[in-house]
Amino acid sequence: MKCQNCHKRDATVHLTEIKGGSKHEMHLCESCAASKGLPGKAHFSIQDLLAGIASAQQAGTQKRRTQELQCPVCELTISQFQSTGRFGCADCYKAFQGEILPLIEKIHDSTQHVGKVPGRAAPGVALQKEVRHLQLELKRAVKQEDYEKAAQLRDRIKQVENELRAQGAPTGSEDVGPLA
Amino acid sequence: MLFDQLLKQTGEWLRGTGPEADIVICCRLRLARNVQGFRFISRMDADERTACEQQIRSVILQQRIVPEDRYVSLHETAPLDRKLLVERHLISKEHEDSKHPRGVAIDRDEQTSIMVNEEDHVRLQVFQSGLQLRAAHKVANALDDLLARGLDFAFSPQLGYLTACPTNVGTGLRASVMLHLPALVLTRHIEKVFQAVSKLNLAVRGLHGEGTEASGHFYQISNQVTLGRSDADILANIEQVIPTIVSYERKAREELLRRDRLRMEDRVWRAYGMLRTARIISSEESLMLLSALRMGHHLGILPDIDLQTINELFLNTQPGHLQKLAAHEMEALERDARRAEYIRRKLDGKS
Repeated sequence: MKCQNCHKRDATVHLTEIKGGSKHEMHLCESCAASKGLPGKAHFSIQDLLAGIASAQQAGTQKRRTQELQCPVCELTISQFQSTGRFGCADCYKAFQGEILPLIEKIHDSTQHVGKVPGRAAPGVALQKEVRHLQLELKRAVKQEDYEKAAQLRDRIKQVENELRAQGAPTGSEDVGPLA
Repeated sequence: MLFDQLLKQTGEWLRGTGPEADIVICCRLRLARNVQGFRFISRMDADERTACEQQIRSVILQQRIVPEDRYVSLHETAPLDRKLLVERHLISKEHEDSKHPRGVAIDRDEQTSIMVNEEDHVRLQVFQSGLQLRAAHKVANALDDLLARGLDFAFSPQLGYLTACPTNVGTGLRASVMLHLPALVLTRHIEKVFQAVSKLNLAVRGLHGEGTEASGHFYQISNQVTLGRSDADILANIEQVIPTIVSYERKAREELLRRDRLRMEDRVWRAYGMLRTARIISSEESLMLLSALRMGHHLGILPDIDLQTINELFLNTQPGHLQKLAAHEMEALERDARRAEYIRRKLDGKS
């Protein structure tokens, strides 16, 4: 696909804008996108990203310098993470959640895992996922006024939640934190 | 002994067979996993490291992934043997150099290696020669399931498998394809490949992975994103680009032969001549010359040399292999002389 602006180079920046309910698509090459002040796909290094957190963190710490964020399990501090780029334990992800989710989103363009779930490690995880999936479908069914389907979905959700309760795992419809 | 056995073979990644094997050397799949209840490697004390290694080792043996003599405790292994494993891509440079209790499990065909206590507690890798990403993934996935029978992996529903570095979080999957692209370098089209690849969020690296130069016209293409995409999507993203690169390389080779046959033959025969006659040769130089030989073989310019010999030369002319074959450590000059001698003997057919 050629760039819509110069009609010469290949379009590599694709934008979808929603204005007043209608959708506009733009396909530009990197240099035309840059001249319009739109970001192209820039390369990044983890160091740059970490430095980014560091400066955001500094702005914060000037107010509360006395208490640096620290993981309660391995006692790694956020500034130690910034200098090495490595976490100290699995719980660091929870302890530094607010600071690292933007970083993770920058690296992966996502903050939601898709794909494999360990079978034995977390028996509730697959079922929790199913509950969330069913809830989305339920919303869709209600919106489409398909009440028969909605009733079926509601029953199925109850059923899965009971299975989860039997396993002693959180049901997923409770308000659990993103890293629970 | 394991190390003597290793020296007798070239391993899965240099087998030289499989789809597109003239250009695609091999595929590698890596999964990063951590065991719940242990801190990550950088925060562990000596006791915890030992306990963690012991637990993972016992699961590897229990699940019969490898027999006991195929698990190597690296902190008890001689430096030269560790170097051998790096040169065979069975362990990383970091795993070679670190000091704490750690190990690696290696299967008989060198298709699988499981590093224990590397940057993550478990780094499982699977090799397949030629373009066979799906086959490699199938093996890796099955091994991951076997390990999960005995180990609780650190996992969150939102972020997936939790890893020491945030660049691996999610699937923990790094899939890479090693390519030999001499004609794209010679025709100066290689930059275009890099551009196309980076648009797909893929990384290009050298022969030995992260931070290494692309020596001998070998390149590794791998995914960067590990979160928000399933294993299958990650593989599909790489699979869509590799056949294009392979066909570009083939076209470039054909074009070079059509336009510049004499110069191509000269390049290959000179490389051959140099390797047949040199008395001192560095590993860097031999890699470049062997790269030309490999291309010559696939273009039919050097009919008498088989791929197996070239692959053996690639592997055995590396410093660690050379010293291991000689059974003693050597200074650089002695090594370079020994390398030249080894290559001459091999090409004369009297290994």
